Amino acid sequence: MSRLRDFKLPDLGEGLTEGEILQWMVAVGDEVTLNQPIVEVETAKAAVEVPSPFAGVVTAIHHEAGEVVDVGSVIISFDTEPGAGPLDLVPDPPNAEEGALIGEVGANGRTATLVGYGPKSGPAKRRARVDSPTPVVAEEAPPPETAARVSAAAVGQAAAQSQGAVTVLAKPPVRKLAKELGVDLTTLTGTGTGGVITRADVEAAGSLGSQAIPVAWEPGARERRIPVKGVRKMSAQAMVDSAFTAPHVTEFVTVDVTPTMELVTRLRALPDFADVKVTPLLLVAKALLLAVKRNPEINSTFTDSEIVVKSYVNLGIAAATPRGLLVPNIKDADRLSLVELGRALQDLVETARAGKTAPADMQSGTITITNIGVFGIDTGTPILNPGESAILAFGAVRPTPWVHEGEIAIRQVTQLALSFDHRNVDGALGSQFLADIARVLADPATALAWS
Amino acid sequence: MARERTPETPELREERRVSVTSPAGTEASTPLVQLLTPEGERVHHPLYDVDLTDDDYRSFYRDLVLVRRIDVEATALQRQGELGLWAPLAGQEAAQVGSGRALRPQDFAFPTYREHGVAWCKGVDPLTLLGLFRGASNGGWDPQEKRFNLYTIVIGSQTLHATGYAMGIVKDGAVGDSGGEAVIAYFGDGASSQGDVNEAFVWSAAYHVPIVFFCQNNQWGISTPTSTQSRIPLYKRAEGFGFPGVRVDGNDVLASYAVTRAALDNARTGQGPTLVEAFTYRMGAHTTSDDPTRYRLSSDLEAWKLKDPLERMKSFLFKQQLADAGFIEEVEADADALAARIRKGCLEMPDPDPLSMFDDVYAEQTVLLEEQREELGTYLAGFRA
Amino acid sequence: MMLTLAKALNEGLRAAMERDPKVVLLGEDIGKLGGVFRVTDGLQKDFGEARVFDTPLAESGIVGTAIGLAIRGYRPVCEIQFDGFVYPAYDQIVSQLAKMHARSKGSVAMPVVVRIPYGGGIGAVEHHSESPEAYFVHTAGLKVVSPSNPADAYFMIQQAIASNDPVVFFEPKRRYWEKAEVDTDATAEPLWSSRIARPGTDLTLLAYGPMVKTCLDAAAAAEEEGRSLEVVDLRTVSPIDFATIRDSVRRTRRAVVVHEAPRTVGVGAEIAARLSEELYYEMEAPVLRVTGFDIPYPPSRVEEEYLPDLDRVLHAVDRSLAY
Repeated sequence: MSRLRDFKLPDLGEGLTEGEILQWMVAVGDEVTLNQPIVEVETAKAAVEVPSPFAGVVTAIHHEAGEVVDVGSVIISFDTEPGAGPLDLVPDPPNAEEGALIGEVGANGRTATLVGYGPKSGPAKRRARVDSPTPVVAEEAPPPETAARVSAAAVGQAAAQSQGAVTVLAKPPVRKLAKELGVDLTTLTGTGTGGVITRADVEAAGSLGSQAIPVAWEPGARERRIPVKGVRKMSAQAMVDSAFTAPHVTEFVTVDVTPTMELVTRLRALPDFADVKVTPLLLVAKALLLAVKRNPEINSTFTDSEIVVKSYVNLGIAAATPRGLLVPNIKDADRLSLVELGRALQDLVETARAGKTAPADMQSGTITITNIGVFGIDTGTPILNPGESAILAFGAVRPTPWVHEGEIAIRQVTQLALSFDHRNVDGALGSQFLADIARVLADPATALAWS
Repeated sequence: MARERTPETPELREERRVSVTSPAGTEASTPLVQLLTPEGERVHHPLYDVDLTDDDYRSFYRDLVLVRRIDVEATALQRQGELGLWAPLAGQEAAQVGSGRALRPQDFAFPTYREHGVAWCKGVDPLTLLGLFRGASNGGWDPQEKRFNLYTIVIGSQTLHATGYAMGIVKDGAVGDSGGEAVIAYFGDGASSQGDVNEAFVWSAAYHVPIVFFCQNNQWGISTPTSTQSRIPLYKRAEGFGFPGVRVDGNDVLASYAVTRAALDNARTGQGPTLVEAFTYRMGAHTTSDDPTRYRLSSDLEAWKLKDPLERMKSFLFKQQLADAGFIEEVEADADALAARIRKGCLEMPDPDPLSMFDDVYAEQTVLLEEQREELGTYLAGFRA
Repeated sequence: MMLTLAKALNEGLRAAMERDPKVVLLGEDIGKLGGVFRVTDGLQKDFGEARVFDTPLAESGIVGTAIGLAIRGYRPVCEIQFDGFVYPAYDQIVSQLAKMHARSKGSVAMPVVVRIPYGGGIGAVEHHSESPEAYFVHTAGLKVVSPSNPADAYFMIQQAIASNDPVVFFEPKRRYWEKAEVDTDATAEPLWSSRIARPGTDLTLLAYGPMVKTCLDAAAAAEEEGRSLEVVDLRTVSPIDFATIRDSVRRTRRAVVVHEAPRTVGVGAEIAARLSEELYYEMEAPVLRVTGFDIPYPPSRVEEEYLPDLDRVLHAVDRSLAY
């Protein structure tokens, strides 16, 4: 410890941050005893005599009478071993943390109160830690004391009645997802820490069709009961909502799509389409997008207060999946080139077939195509996807006797059916829209004419 | 039907004025038991006296000096940031040493938080008291061993504890002769307004317990004068509750000793409670960061300086040739040594281990608390050293 | 033998006083009158006025002098006549009784029991139907228990008196006259543990004091609806026996806490918080609470709508099972 000691103006009580030196009772060179009053300081409240914390000789007085000094500032210095020879006049450098400015924490960090040291400002930075907290998942064994308090018979009975002897570990949001997807948590093995079932576990189970229609018949059973839950339940509800809210009108057109079918073949040969699956559905989709451009009001939603016409097209493609009917959509399909549209369509179909369609993919659709032709069906009266105003059913393409350039010829013919919400889509709009689609498919050069 | 009012004669009015409006703090209106004047003259009182040897007188003086020195040192330590606060007893040394020395070994004292002079008499190391005000503990000594309860910060609460303890003495049959046990409960003029203190008076009277209520009327409850607490001299309260009260000069160590001893003897011999009002003055602040100049006149302070308890005792010793300058110096040297010891002890006092705060909450530890202790222990161990 | 809860307490006090001469009873009107609920009936006659005495009308004095008696080496059992009258004594309980052991680092123990009849449902005027237990559960240094039935009352009062810690002993006054078989020779369960009053599998009802019977009745009614409810009688409210609660809820995966005290920051809130922390991955539903409302206790003509009853409990059970 240095023999040269500084004395800082201490807190003198009740939130004071500074004091005025009224008078010094000692001078440089004076010998001072411990606790001898050395200075009179005026705080906001009173004049206070401050006793010396050191015995020794005053070497320096740092503030004159009349000066206002901050708490924590050095006001006087002492040589505490005056008999020990000459003093090294270079004092210890002040501790950087002990300096005080107005309003800042003082040397001892506190501002006194009537009843104690006073408040301390807390740390402003985190102290470094060696560990990081891990959540406690589950304790394996119940504590032995509890077993003693429950009669053995009671526990046995309770256990036997328990629906699941195994405790399922899953966070509430994951439990909710499982319920929505109709996944039975007790059939899953959790991949989370401690055997916790994660969201991914549930989604994987959902997509693997663990809730596909149970195929097995009880031998000799005359009925079998399939629970309505999960996707099936949701689709059913959606359908009812749609069917009984929007007045559906369906219009039909039969189109000679031979040029489109030829175009499909030619496109497949083009290097641009080398890694793209080109299908008639792709061109139907493109035709629809072009028709939407010409008839923008069809890409809208009817609500009771307003009709919302959208400038973007999220094109839904109805897909039959192991989990049931899903309608994932291609976002901003109107902005995609034919190649991009092809890729998007391919992804969509493959994802749906694998049962991995994400919920986000199925939200915010604006218009839908349902390809019933793959089933060999000519046409139908599709039901609108809720929130949309139009849906196009694309039927099978068949070689059909047709009048072509005035003569009977075998042409590739298909039927298109457009159901629309008659609240905001009138006959003119619906017809015009459907006609535009038909025109592009009948003569693909129309697309160029319209661009 | 309206009751007939007592006719207000001039005599009746004067009687009422004197009894109701006498300022509680006026000595002239209220007799004090005094055995030593401020000038150090011995006076006699018909009801109270002391029978002390020369050594006793010197020893009283020594205790007064040491107690004052503890107080001065602790005040300085607070100013230097070593204590969170200190409750100074400056001016009240005689009341505390006098009453403290009157206690017999079997007697139990219940202090407030300013009775460092009584703690001294009961053998509690002053360094322990510094530990409390430093924040190293909430007490620090074993009350059963010292027969001195821990300091009670809540105003007046301890008077009920003292009463209950005294009820226990009665149940034990340890009352009735000169070997009986007595209890002393300290409190201030401000505390006399607290419900608990008044309940203690009720109960002590109801159960006729061996207790002395020792009120140090130092004229101030922080900044509130006694006149706000009471319209009559405090010692007169006792009569309303059914037991005797007496006012003693609290700056006179001999009178404080004599009156307290008499009251304790009454208690231990089964004569029930007494209220002793020690009339004194709080020369310092309420606690060391209080500023008394805001609420009292320096002229009051000056007047009371003339009644200093140590000065009158020193004068008495010289006048009676019971001590010389050598003795005075010797006592000063003892005081310096004591101050140096407690100063060093204070500066070197370690902070308690944080986990120890879970240790003595209950006689029988709970699972919950053990879990919390472990939680904190693990958390603290997780910091990089 | 068949005893009412009040009589079981009386017998328990008697046994404790016979066992230890340092046990003393103090309170208002407990001596000749035997207490306004007759819980201390006959005890002054048998043990004398030194050990069973009437106090002045001063609740703070009752607890304050009990503290002094405890310092002197006695084991005082205070009675606060009614729940709503404990508040004048609250400072002595919270500032002194609770803290003395810690303050003295164990030199001074407080083997004091504060008995308080509590709870509503007796058609009373103001201040006689309170459930103030949360104020004491929240105070470190105290322990808080509440028996729900005569057998527990008989044993728990003796155990509380034998404890070296201050115990606030809440007696469900609406159950004082309910009778049950009490085997006074049985081995007592530990004081600081909860008990499964009725085993079940679908959901755990957690209750203490007067609400235990309500929950047992609810569980019986639920059985007729094909539901199996487990009822846990907490018994000790501070410290809470989380081991038993956790074990039960881990099995049933659903919990409903029931107490008369108002909802906000009641004991139910603590149990709910703790269960959500410890059984986060296992719970099928959030912990639900059936409680009094956040209002001053209402006039007795509407108290039945305020207090949880069988229907309110089962309504919460329905809600829990719907998750």
